[in-house]
Amino acid sequence: LGAADADARLLAPFTTWPEGPDGAALSQFQVAGMHCAACAGIIEAVLLKLPGVQAASVNAASARLGLSWQPARIALADVFAALQAAGYQATPDVAAPARELRRREKRQALWRLFVAGFLMMQVMMMATPAYVAGAGELTADLDRLLRWASWVLTLPVMVFSAGPFFSGAWRQLRAGRLGMDVPVALGLAVTFVASTAALFDPGGAIGHEVYFDSLTMFVALLLLARWFELGARHRAAEALEAVAGALPAAAERLNADGSTERIPPEALRVGDRIRVAAGEAFAADGRVVSGQGWVNEALLTGESAPVAKAVGDAVVAGSLSVDGGFVVEVERVGADTTAQGIVRLMQQAQSQRPMALGLVDRVAAGFTATVLVLALAAGVAWWWIEPSRAIAVAVAVLIVTCPCALTLAAPAAWLTASGTLARRGLLLADLSALDRLCTVDTVVFDKTGTLSEDRLQLRRHWAQGADADALLAVARSLAALSRHPHAQALAGAAGAWTDVREVAGRGVEARDATGQLWRLGAPAWVSDRPDAAARLAFGCGDCVLWLDLAETPRPDAAEAIKALRVQGLRVRLLSGDQPAAVSRMAHQLDIAHWRASATPESKLAALRDWQARGERVLMVGDGINDAPVLAAADVRIAMGQGARLARSAADALLVSNRLTAIPQALALAQKTRRVLRQNLAWAALYNLACVPLALTGWLPPLAAGIGMATSSLFVVLNAQRLAR
Amino acid sequence: MDILYLLIPFSVVLVLLIVGVFGWAVNSGQLDDLAHEGERILLDEDQGP
Repeated sequence: LGAADADARLLAPFTTWPEGPDGAALSQFQVAGMHCAACAGIIEAVLLKLPGVQAASVNAASARLGLSWQPARIALADVFAALQAAGYQATPDVAAPARELRRREKRQALWRLFVAGFLMMQVMMMATPAYVAGAGELTADLDRLLRWASWVLTLPVMVFSAGPFFSGAWRQLRAGRLGMDVPVALGLAVTFVASTAALFDPGGAIGHEVYFDSLTMFVALLLLARWFELGARHRAAEALEAVAGALPAAAERLNADGSTERIPPEALRVGDRIRVAAGEAFAADGRVVSGQGWVNEALLTGESAPVAKAVGDAVVAGSLSVDGGFVVEVERVGADTTAQGIVRLMQQAQSQRPMALGLVDRVAAGFTATVLVLALAAGVAWWWIEPSRAIAVAVAVLIVTCPCALTLAAPAAWLTASGTLARRGLLLADLSALDRLCTVDTVVFDKTGTLSEDRLQLRRHWAQGADADALLAVARSLAALSRHPHAQALAGAAGAWTDVREVAGRGVEARDATGQLWRLGAPAWVSDRPDAAARLAFGCGDCVLWLDLAETPRPDAAEAIKALRVQGLRVRLLSGDQPAAVSRMAHQLDIAHWRASATPESKLAALRDWQARGERVLMVGDGINDAPVLAAADVRIAMGQGARLARSAADALLVSNRLTAIPQALALAQKTRRVLRQNLAWAALYNLACVPLALTGWLPPLAAGIGMATSSLFVVLNAQRLAR
Repeated sequence: MDILYLLIPFSVVLVLLIVGVFGWAVNSGQLDDLAHEGERILLDEDQGP
């Protein structure tokens, strides 16, 4: 049992148990050593052969693995060993080891790129004389020496820089899958062998042409394209880890006997009490049992202003205690915490392979098979027509048709776009939502907590036969002592009150310096003759101040709605609140279509009615009481508020609570679709144009290399436009 | 132009040396964080990177 417990503790940071503790576990890993889309299939095949593994899904673009398995039947170490044997390294996807893995991957990629790029320049220098020399200017000896020098400089490029292509191709062949490494490796190998043979035996069947210059350039450009792809992937991973990395490395646990000990956050259990000093981060979600102060929850809300916390308030893992010391009773730990819930949503989005991506994969496999047949046929055909050019033509076909651009097109665009949205505070849980966002023509907002802030604000105050403003100042000083939301809306600097007593459901009462009892709360409790228009009252005897509180729209709500309307979208307001409040909000924000007093059922009916009329609806709600309505909408965005959002069924979470991110997301979705289409069109057009040229022998291997590498570069750089 | 027979092999050796030096630089972490290096001069000694 001890070992099983230790194992469960080990798995906790990166594993969830969607079917309960006895069901299958879903673990997230980061995989190193992946070079192309086909690697994903190989890893999945290797893992599915293991006992206890139920499903494995690998996202090639983000190099993440989601593994559904039974830890009782196979040890984690065996899973790692199986992956290692297949040529990949996996680490549990918690921030630190993944970062180390990324650092090593980046260094390795830069090192390979430099070797290829620098030697490419030198080889080109060596090759130039052969191109520019006039007849008789270059002696045969010198020509041979230059070729030898090129060969020596090409060797490191082939052995070291191009190593990943060869090992990738070998892995794909062994797994019986054709990926894009196969034609690349084949093209490289054929070119190098043919050029080497021409160098050692100039009079042989191969001819005397050497292609060391185009070979090295091909490798260098290919590695450059991969370098950009690596950068995009690492940036997406870093955006995620900014959230995950906010958790502290140790927590100070209070033992029953009053002593404290520092333990890793993974060792915390629900019900433990931890002490958090000023300036420290909370290691787990919990509830304050003693202490008060300000807490910065920027991690979750994007709001930089700290929030006041006192006894009984919920605090969230990863948020920072600004000035106060707290003792917190732990309610959720590890993967169940709110912060980890967000991270997991993002990871699941990134490790789930989008449909279109699967399609691109299948196309690439078929494409590669066709290309191999074409190259072989072209080589054989040219052997009959003109034997000296047969190899050059076959090589050109192999190089030019590398499906890199095709396989890079979709993931590059989607990953870049989701990274951009994450920076603006909108976390995509489902990448396909980007595609669905393009078709939306109606945006439905919930009112409370979505368009308006949760906080109330004083709208109007008046008094009978007394100075309302002077009374208000006194009321504010008493309100500061209460934790009720209505009082919080008023609160000013705390005054000198004694005998402060909070009466549940009524308000707060206290005595002033002269011993008079003042009450702040429900009008009927404060006065015998309550004013119907007032929501709150403050008074002592007959001297009463009436207060009306109202919701205020978020500061950027008007701007966001205007932007949505400019984009040609219909904006609707759907609220369960009173008509007066809803109409005021609708009027304030200039929303023509609004509906008030809606129950969850009538909200759902209204939504279905609009959908029946052909509208494609984006619903923006607060994720909990709107859950059924959200679920029925075409695209769902939930406002990021506290712990509940980890469970919400939304496509995206607006953690920053900035509504202007919504029109921005819609615009970005359109742009992403455009970029994706451009990328696919470019890849298709390029192949259509170049394959016939290569087959007919009009495309030298050098031009083929340039064409292929630039098409990959074009696709990746085009996707980078979405990062702005 | 006989000197070329010496200079070309020499340049090949030099290039391989440069590649080796760069490899050492990359693998000892000197190129890990290029953006930060430029800002380091603005930091005080005790703040560290």
